[in-house]
Amino acid sequence: MNDRQENILTVNGLSVSYGKFQAVQNVSFSVLKGEIFGLLGPNGAGKTSTLSALEGLLKPQSGSIVIDGYDAGEKPLYARASLGVQLQSTSFQPELFVIEVLELYAGIYGLTLTRNQILAILGEISLEDQAFKKFGQLSGGQQQRVSLVIATIHNPKLVLLDEPTTGLDPQSRRQLWERIEAIREKGHAVLLTTHSMEEAESVCDRIAIIDHGRVIAVDTPQALIDKHRADPEVISVSRRGKITLEDVFIALTGKTVRA
Amino acid sequence: MDTVIPKTSTVLAALLRADFTTQWRNRRSVILTLVVPVIILISWKGLVAIKGGAFALSNSITIGLIATGLMGYTNAIARDRDKGIFQRLRVAPVPTWTIMASRICVQLVMIILVTTAVFIAGNEYDKITLTPSGYAFTYFTAIIGGLVYLSLGQMVAGLITNPETVNSTTRLVYFIFIMVGMFGELGILGVQIHDLEHWSPYGTVKTILAGSMEPAKWTNDTSIALLLTVLYAGVFATIGIQRFKWNTNK
Repeated sequence: MNDRQENILTVNGLSVSYGKFQAVQNVSFSVLKGEIFGLLGPNGAGKTSTLSALEGLLKPQSGSIVIDGYDAGEKPLYARASLGVQLQSTSFQPELFVIEVLELYAGIYGLTLTRNQILAILGEISLEDQAFKKFGQLSGGQQQRVSLVIATIHNPKLVLLDEPTTGLDPQSRRQLWERIEAIREKGHAVLLTTHSMEEAESVCDRIAIIDHGRVIAVDTPQALIDKHRADPEVISVSRRGKITLEDVFIALTGKTVRA
Repeated sequence: MDTVIPKTSTVLAALLRADFTTQWRNRRSVILTLVVPVIILISWKGLVAIKGGAFALSNSITIGLIATGLMGYTNAIARDRDKGIFQRLRVAPVPTWTIMASRICVQLVMIILVTTAVFIAGNEYDKITLTPSGYAFTYFTAIIGGLVYLSLGQMVAGLITNPETVNSTTRLVYFIFIMVGMFGELGILGVQIHDLEHWSPYGTVKTILAGSMEPAKWTNDTSIALLLTVLYAGVFATIGIQRFKWNTNK
């Protein structure tokens, strides 16, 4: 097995519940080194709960999570040190300048960076001139760029992105895709959740479709399309004749709008 | 596997730097926290001659400690929890205790500042001076007293998740403490309220502060107040830590 085929993340039999509500049920999947893996599902399907368990924010009811060889239950700090995380709604202390937020996160990941080095990092995302603005004063796209930089500041082996393109305009979204692909070029793996099938189809190497807390399909986007191309349900939801990932997704998860 | 966990000291240094910067940027509320006990001390100038300097200083410091612990700390953690700031910190390889330890360190500095501000105002306006051991001992008991209100704040944030409700609750408790504390102490509200106030978290903190200002006058009553103060801090902290949730979503 070469490096590319090694798992950076292995999730096995993961279950998460909130009281009596079973949000994630016996979910298993793995992410390979250097791949972009998409976790797709309707609202309330269990994507964010799965990610929260990986991030250590939720204690799983059962199952195991191994990140870069570290069992997240036994060695949570090592597992978390291997992760870069961008949460769905990122928030930093509103009193701090952008440069200070980066200094804080560099510090808590054990990095010693000078102000010039941090300015250079901000320069890479064309935000050098925003360094002394507060995070809340940045536009949505700028905030996403900053939080992605923070997620990758310590060169993590696996980056978790929870709906990273939500609320972005097409230009910012396209730019973010390029940044995500650049993360992969550096050899890091990315696990992202998204509602955008277009995004999943164009960026992800493999995807898992999750619904009602269970993984119902895992494959490459093209393989999923090919596999379900002839399904009557898929054909019936197809709107333009050409079968897309969205058609397969709707056929598998149903047409009903979720809360 | 070459994953390196950052040293706890490095993590704490980064958190402390950010938390002190945050406090500095909120200096208007910091100044208010310092000004209120000083104003009360100055307005009580007439009482100094009747009740003594220790009475006026201890009441003023107690009010400052309540403002620091109950209002400043509690509302800050309720806001940061609601905004997801804690969640973002918790996904980093940070022991969770360091997040709160850093916040508490900032509050301990505030306790020292409040105490110092009252000492300076007492000296300047009321000519109240203590012995060097009185000053040192009072700083020590101010920290213990401050911990009572920090742990009370922790309990409020543990029991209530909505930041607006936390804010209104701490304001109400602050108001009750000031009113019942100051007027109950003077006996205006009757004997029963006076006794209740004397053994309340306001009264015990005030008693140990007054006792430490004049160590020669430390009595059994002061020792019991000290024990009760530690007990209050322990109970509030236990409930506050056990019930505290790091996020308000689930």
